[in-house]
Amino acid sequence: MELEALQEIYSDVRTLGAQIIVITPELERYTRALHKKLNLSFDILTDLHLKVAEQFRLVFTLPDYLRDLYKSFGSTLDRFNDEPEYRLPIPARYVIDKQGIIRAADVNADYTIRTEPSETLKQLRSLSRAADQ
Amino acid sequence: MSLQERLDEFKKSFESGAPPYNAPHEVIETMHRATAELKATGIEERALKVGDRAQGFSLFNQDHVQIDSADLLRQGPLVLSFFRGHW
Repeated sequence: MELEALQEIYSDVRTLGAQIIVITPELERYTRALHKKLNLSFDILTDLHLKVAEQFRLVFTLPDYLRDLYKSFGSTLDRFNDEPEYRLPIPARYVIDKQGIIRAADVNADYTIRTEPSETLKQLRSLSRAADQ
Repeated sequence: MSLQERLDEFKKSFESGAPPYNAPHEVIETMHRATAELKATGIEERALKVGDRAQGFSLFNQDHVQIDSADLLRQGPLVLSFFRGHW
């Protein structure tokens, strides 16, 4: 749902001179399929072994009991992500300015809670206003 | 419908235990426990925040094209979303 919601703001983001990038530990054969299925206008990048997510300090290891539960649903992260330790990033959305400084950070360990994309647009607008001054 | 409304609707349907998910009560409890434990580790507070410098990256996109964050930032700001996967 996050990706579909980002797609909905894509043209507004581009109008503001910004770009959307999604980073996931999933391997390219899965990102390719997902990208096609959702007909996305922005890139999904594969963060093999969560190197970038680690730099943002977003990585956690799924507890054993949850790993077993997901396996029983047929979700096998060792296959999707080449991640035998079952590590994942917590959901996070950042706005980064041209200088590489984080201007907005929406981080939540509860994956059922997300910031509205309209909020992200507001953050981008205030960034572009600041740049004009 | 807003993103959070869509997420809430999905959660409500999943946690009702009804079809199509038929999630047993124990499964829902397990998921709640995992989220609470993860929050308690303080991971949200440790994550990079406003004012921090984002590390550069160079990763392959869905078409196996290498994308460099420095090239992107030269063109303008970035919205960066960390996504755990399609599963």
